[in-house]
Amino acid sequence: MKKTVPIIKVANLHKDFRIYARPQDRLWEILLRRPRHQLYHVLRDISFAVPEGKSLGIIGVNGAGKSTLLKLLAGILQPTVGEIAVSGQVAALLELGAGFHPEFSGRRNIYLNASLLGVPDDDIATLEQEIIAFSELGEFIDRPVKTYSSGMYVRLAFAIATMVRPDILVIDEALSVGDMAFQRKCVQRMNQFRAELKTMVFCSHSMFHIQELCDTAIWIHMGRIREIGDSDQVVGHYEDFCYSKKTYNSIEQDLPRTQLQESEVGKNSDDAMPTMPDCRISALSVCDSDGHAVTELEPLGSVRLEMEVEVLKDGIEGNFGFAFMKSAEEPIASFLTTELAESEVEKGPFQVGDVFTVSLAVQHLAMRVGEFYVLGGLADKSGLLWYETRFSKQLSIKPNKGVGTLIMESEWSVQRK
Amino acid sequence: MFITLLREWIATPLTHSRLFQQFTQQDFHAQFAASIGGFLWLFLTPIVHILIYSFVFGYIFQIRAPAEFGQTRFVIFMMIGYLPWFAFAEAMGRSTNLLLEKAPLITKVMFPVQLLPLTGTLIPYLTHGTGFVMLLIYLASQGLLSAGWLLLPVVFFFQFLFTLGIVAVLSATCVFLRDLQQLVALGVTIWFFLTPIIYPITMIQNPTIRQWFLLNPMHNFINLYREIVLLGEVSAINLQIIIPVSVISYCLGGWLFIRIRHAFGDVL
Repeated sequence: MKKTVPIIKVANLHKDFRIYARPQDRLWEILLRRPRHQLYHVLRDISFAVPEGKSLGIIGVNGAGKSTLLKLLAGILQPTVGEIAVSGQVAALLELGAGFHPEFSGRRNIYLNASLLGVPDDDIATLEQEIIAFSELGEFIDRPVKTYSSGMYVRLAFAIATMVRPDILVIDEALSVGDMAFQRKCVQRMNQFRAELKTMVFCSHSMFHIQELCDTAIWIHMGRIREIGDSDQVVGHYEDFCYSKKTYNSIEQDLPRTQLQESEVGKNSDDAMPTMPDCRISALSVCDSDGHAVTELEPLGSVRLEMEVEVLKDGIEGNFGFAFMKSAEEPIASFLTTELAESEVEKGPFQVGDVFTVSLAVQHLAMRVGEFYVLGGLADKSGLLWYETRFSKQLSIKPNKGVGTLIMESEWSVQRK
Repeated sequence: MFITLLREWIATPLTHSRLFQQFTQQDFHAQFAASIGGFLWLFLTPIVHILIYSFVFGYIFQIRAPAEFGQTRFVIFMMIGYLPWFAFAEAMGRSTNLLLEKAPLITKVMFPVQLLPLTGTLIPYLTHGTGFVMLLIYLASQGLLSAGWLLLPVVFFFQFLFTLGIVAVLSATCVFLRDLQQLVALGVTIWFFLTPIIYPITMIQNPTIRQWFLLNPMHNFINLYREIVLLGEVSAINLQIIIPVSVISYCLGGWLFIRIRHAFGDVL
């Protein structure tokens, strides 16, 4: 097997911006050699390598430092600390038609842009027709680009950047502008690019495109790499992060509060009532269909939720509940026995010393991504007063293809008429 | 360091000739095609200036070309100095805005930025060089043509190198210090009056002070033009000054520009 050489290698990269309160501070700093700026750390400790022919996706919330990283890769900015080694010709599409001259016709801009990218003149003439065809501009190609719509702009820019066949293509959010048909063409074009063993670095808020086009993804959060790895997995965690307002860590802070009573799963638990030591949950477990405890669940798989209950007082009658929780206050799904008749599930009364296991089989888990917890709870007869609740360990869904938070059981069919 | 300078500064216009050409065309386009007057506007300023100076200095103050230039009319004497000066002055005046107006490009596209001061200097030299050539054609038809004129392009080229070096420094510095824009405009005016263009250097009585004028490269250039065109001869001292000064300006300016261009992306 041919050994792949990293074509982009970034080691220990830091990028700071100097923020000056007033423009003249920059001058004073040069003259007096005394710092008058505030440092703003845009990127910190970024290291990764992209082998030839692989594509890298960069994701993160706005302001995380994605664009700065792309600019560093394109060579427009210089790192404050660290090294970037890029071997090969880079074509960067950082902003729509940044290299365009608005007064010139599209055709002339092809030449202008291509020479900005350093393409020999003879090559452009042969590529010209191909570029015009790809961009679908038709007769507009001879009109000034200032008359173009933003879709036409991006079509032309994308066509040029990909047709000149650079070794490395750096794209920042370019696909979000075009219509669906053009986006599809772009994806095809980029896949062809990958087939030609070219390297791509791609930044997008479209998780679909990241998953579709990238082998590896980097999630940048507050200027640091939060996660790097297989794009499906990183996208999964990132989406999960975006959909939850809270961060992962907060649940640990929330855990002690499970001793409080919750009036109902999902309802605010702040209206705390004294815990009634009538019964307690001695164990809570999440098992697969074979009965093994698991922490990673298959999408659309089945799980069995179990809790062991010890009764501390005679004559307890109650209800049980389970819930999948994003955090202590955010339920995903809940299962309660309050609506069920006595005949369907035993609700007591129980006697002191009774120990029993409540279990709930859940089929076809609909969560596609994310990390969550299972909450088990015991309530009184009315279902309003909760004796005790207990959280499971953190659970997660195995990485899988797709976008969105949910996955549903489905069946395809195509019927020819 | 020397290799970098050679490759990045001196060789870039050749290795990126296509882009260089594109930039030059773009600049021409921006100046001429966008307005109705086009070329006319460009020559209007020097023509009006020449008319004013001839009226004020030639007619009112009765300044005459120095005796060594024979019976030359003051207008001709002044124009030979003024047209090359105007190319220099315009390149200087535009220099401060060269990188600032291209900020969107510099921050979004990776390309050899050092082409920008080159284009910015080339355009005024091309346009006002044309004006200068037209004047020369007129003078040739008056029977002034001599073999010494072959030196004119050489001197003009060295003036271009000298200007390019200064433009490179100014354009790069202006990214950091925008106040420079005002200062440069003022500086060019001061420089203009300190250069014997609208007056002959012989009007300065004190020979010591006259010696000091040799430190002004523009005076050396203009004196050379006048000597070559009107007399067909050359002062060795002027040549000895302008050649090293131009080369140093060109190399030093380029070196500085290449050194600090990495910071452009951060500041712009």
